[in-house]
Amino acid sequence: MKTRVLGKSLPRFDAPGKVTGTLVYAADFSLPGMLVGKVFRSTEAHARLAHLDTTRANGLPGVRGIITAADVPDVRYGGAVKDETVLARDRVRYVGQPIAAVAATTLEAAEAALAAIVATYEPLTPVFDVETATAPDAPLLHPDWRTYTAMPILHREGNVCNRARIVAGDVERGFAEADRIFEHRFRTAMVHQGYTEPRAAVAQWDSAGTVTVWSNTQLPFEIQNTLAEILAIAPSKIRVVVPGIGGGFGGKLRVGVEHVAALLAKRAGRPVKVLTTAEEELTAAYPRQATIVELKTGVTRDGRITAKHGRIWFDTGAFAGSGPGVASVATLVLAGPYRIPNLDLEGHAVYTNKTNCGSFRAPSGPQSNFAVESQMDIIADALGLDPLDFRLKNIVREGDEGPTGQVLNAVGLEECLVKAADAIGWNDRRPGRWRGKGLACGRWTTTGGSSGVYVKINTDGTIALNTGAAEIGTAALTGAAQVLAEELSVDLEDINVVSADTFSTPFDFGAQGSRTAFAVGNACRAAAVDLTRQLYALAAPHLGVEPEACALRDKHVVADGKSLSLAELARLSQATGGGLIAHGTFIAPPTPYDTKRVESHAYPAFHSPSFHAHAAEVSVDPETGEITVENYVVAQDVGFAMNPTYIEGQIEGGVAQGLGQALSEEIVYDGGRVRNPNLTDYKMPTTLDVPRVQTILVQHPSLVGPYGAKGVGEPPNIEPPATVANAIAAATGVRITSLPITAEKVALALRDVTARSAES
Amino acid sequence: MSFDFHEPASIAEAVALAARFGTEARFLAGGTDLLVQIRRKRVAPRHVVSLHRVPGLDTIDANGEIRLGALVTHRALERAPAFQGALRALVEGARVVGGHQIRNVGTVGGNIVNASPAADVVPVLLVLDAAVTCVGPNGAREMKLDEFLLGPGETALRPDELLTSIRFPAPALRSATGFLKAGRRRAMEISVVCVAVWLSLDGDDRCAGVRISLGAVGPRALRSCDRPVESSPRTVSRSRTSAHRQPTGGFSWKHSFRARSGQR
Repeated sequence: MKTRVLGKSLPRFDAPGKVTGTLVYAADFSLPGMLVGKVFRSTEAHARLAHLDTTRANGLPGVRGIITAADVPDVRYGGAVKDETVLARDRVRYVGQPIAAVAATTLEAAEAALAAIVATYEPLTPVFDVETATAPDAPLLHPDWRTYTAMPILHREGNVCNRARIVAGDVERGFAEADRIFEHRFRTAMVHQGYTEPRAAVAQWDSAGTVTVWSNTQLPFEIQNTLAEILAIAPSKIRVVVPGIGGGFGGKLRVGVEHVAALLAKRAGRPVKVLTTAEEELTAAYPRQATIVELKTGVTRDGRITAKHGRIWFDTGAFAGSGPGVASVATLVLAGPYRIPNLDLEGHAVYTNKTNCGSFRAPSGPQSNFAVESQMDIIADALGLDPLDFRLKNIVREGDEGPTGQVLNAVGLEECLVKAADAIGWNDRRPGRWRGKGLACGRWTTTGGSSGVYVKINTDGTIALNTGAAEIGTAALTGAAQVLAEELSVDLEDINVVSADTFSTPFDFGAQGSRTAFAVGNACRAAAVDLTRQLYALAAPHLGVEPEACALRDKHVVADGKSLSLAELARLSQATGGGLIAHGTFIAPPTPYDTKRVESHAYPAFHSPSFHAHAAEVSVDPETGEITVENYVVAQDVGFAMNPTYIEGQIEGGVAQGLGQALSEEIVYDGGRVRNPNLTDYKMPTTLDVPRVQTILVQHPSLVGPYGAKGVGEPPNIEPPATVANAIAAATGVRITSLPITAEKVALALRDVTARSAES
Repeated sequence: MSFDFHEPASIAEAVALAARFGTEARFLAGGTDLLVQIRRKRVAPRHVVSLHRVPGLDTIDANGEIRLGALVTHRALERAPAFQGALRALVEGARVVGGHQIRNVGTVGGNIVNASPAADVVPVLLVLDAAVTCVGPNGAREMKLDEFLLGPGETALRPDELLTSIRFPAPALRSATGFLKAGRRRAMEISVVCVAVWLSLDGDDRCAGVRISLGAVGPRALRSCDRPVESSPRTVSRSRTSAHRQPTGGFSWKHSFRARSGQR
């Protein structure tokens, strides 16, 4: 395809502001007279809040307002389950849960006020893990769970806030057909998204009773609606604006600080800013759930998978958060990207007395894939099959069914696997020497939801693109702008983007789920079709032709050897009409699936699925267990690469983040308290820990995406843990089944092997 | 937090301020530990005495005996030409402290006085048999670093004393040093364990002496071995099997001994 703008590695429009430091992030945002808001948090994991005394704090210098549960509307809010309150009322459910908030003139005054608030607790029996929480006699975190409003499809029971299930075929028959049955259990740790900029919001009320919130949220419209519930006012009275965002990765989907800022600003009558600390991020944010996964897989002697029974438990923390949905998505991932006729897959989201977990880049993906793809290698080893061959024998191909019966198309998985394997030198594997190569593969969704854009042509020929989506650092809006520029035959720098203001931009489902470039790009196409029609109608009489004879070429409408520039036409339109203005909307069409195969399922099919394979070569120090990732390859089916450079950037970043989950990151809870609530002890990888990542862009165009594009942002975060685990097993002969795979785990496993071989 | 900030222009002036304010004062060198402790409310000094205007504290003197001013930064240790050979463990220890920003301002004197059991440069100084000079109102005294370090955050430094310099003998011919660190990641990392080794060979390429110090495995860096030994060089080579994963690595022991010991 010959293109002007699209498919080219053009520089993103938000780069100059970011690299020169002039872009205003939410954390930088400031208003005259602005107060500092801080949150008073529970020190107990599970307790009745017997008494709360803010008297002394209220009298301290600089304090301009304190709110407790008694001062805010008695509202329960939440996504799938409305089980959360802004401030704890009579019970606290995790260490770090907000109980009160203070607005003061300085940070020091606010902190002094927090220190002067006294909370008295009566301890309740805490529950710290999903095994205890799901035991028959477990204490209930939410004794009133039956009274909560929730998505009707959910299956809830006590501490379980959803159990989603996929059943296909007959697993018992499938296991009967199998020659070998493999059962394994895996565990993964709670990890944080690690965005550079902490969550931040500034709120200000005006005399008309409208509150404006400047927030680094990924979902301004979601925040608008949630604030409407919490503040008990109309959504139209709430304006959410997103300035710059220093990363989100799913951690900034849900209301986190915005409600506190808005409530404090109302109380104090002045603008209030709430900015979290690293400690608050690691104890009271929305991290990725720790999980336990159990897999039972039946295979024939020649390596055909006959059945899979999989169960995953998500430790979702004190509130449901994203848990019910994530538990649903997980069942799709547990199937693996394989043809398996008989499936019984369950995802459980379970309450515990920990911080409320949320969404993190490909929610459920890394945990589920780690288990599935680790077990694939274990099985291949047991059957004496090459792990690549075993996968190629079972992977889904064009026209196959997904686990819930959706028909798959544009399936680039085989190409991904073969290319990743070739690039890592799969056929050049030498056993021993403490080096090993591993593979993993998977598929992921391009989240649906609707997007709208307004587009106008300015009198200088430039284009204004107005979108409700936020640019969270992925360059997705640059991709969408490239679509618009291509369709209107202008250059990327001719497009000016205005984004994410709930008062002035059209609705967008938000920067989540690998959907922004995909959905906003399609909305841009729709707007461009409308604008082109307007341009031709306007130009045709002046060019002396019928509109059908017109074409767009290099910023001009051309026909019959004559032309008018977009700038001329915009001026003409302003003089004779209302200007060249269009809107475009897009919503992903529903993906048909077999409704009989799912129970209590919030996400029954992957839309425009992407396919990917990762390969790694690692070396392991046999004495210390230290792991070095020597080489890393990703082959990802992106459908169509709108801007190859930024897709490669997404892949490299996703791998770096995935290696963190694989090897070093873990929020460590001990007795309900986080032991490592700082960035010294919570170990994200540094540049020295991440190898050069080789990216291979595979392009099997999707039917729905703009120019065939598929979602690209989340997938590269899915496979790193499994890939590295498989490479470590190849290098050492020991299989680590829990994340993170630390040097200590490897060294101890190697010592066990040595001890066992000495005994025998 | 609030404190009075003092900028003395001489050691005598600095020590006089410390004597005047006693335990309410803290010296500020790089600040990479002190400011974190203040922010975390572990200490709340009423007076902070900056050492940056005191001349001569940031020099490395390597003509003969080695003398490091207390304000020599980790970056300066990394880059010092004098430490690229037999004293290379100083470079290896200094270059894995924190990140670039920390190393640009964090000082060797501060690293010692902070007395973290996991301080990376301290085990190296221990195997080099370093001594520290502390200046108080009654003048200077010198003691072995091994005697100076008492436990986590504890040293023999008196409240009115300033650690001004560290010294150790010039490396003997046919001696070498090495440093290794294990942690969960390769930068911005506090050691899970670190080890420094000094050894020397006799004229027959036999190991004549070895000193080993371990960090992060006890209340303070420990000297675990300090004696002349009788062994063949091959015994020594085992100690480097982990070296390949060090960011500083990429060498083999056999190849490096000559380079490290300054032999050509």
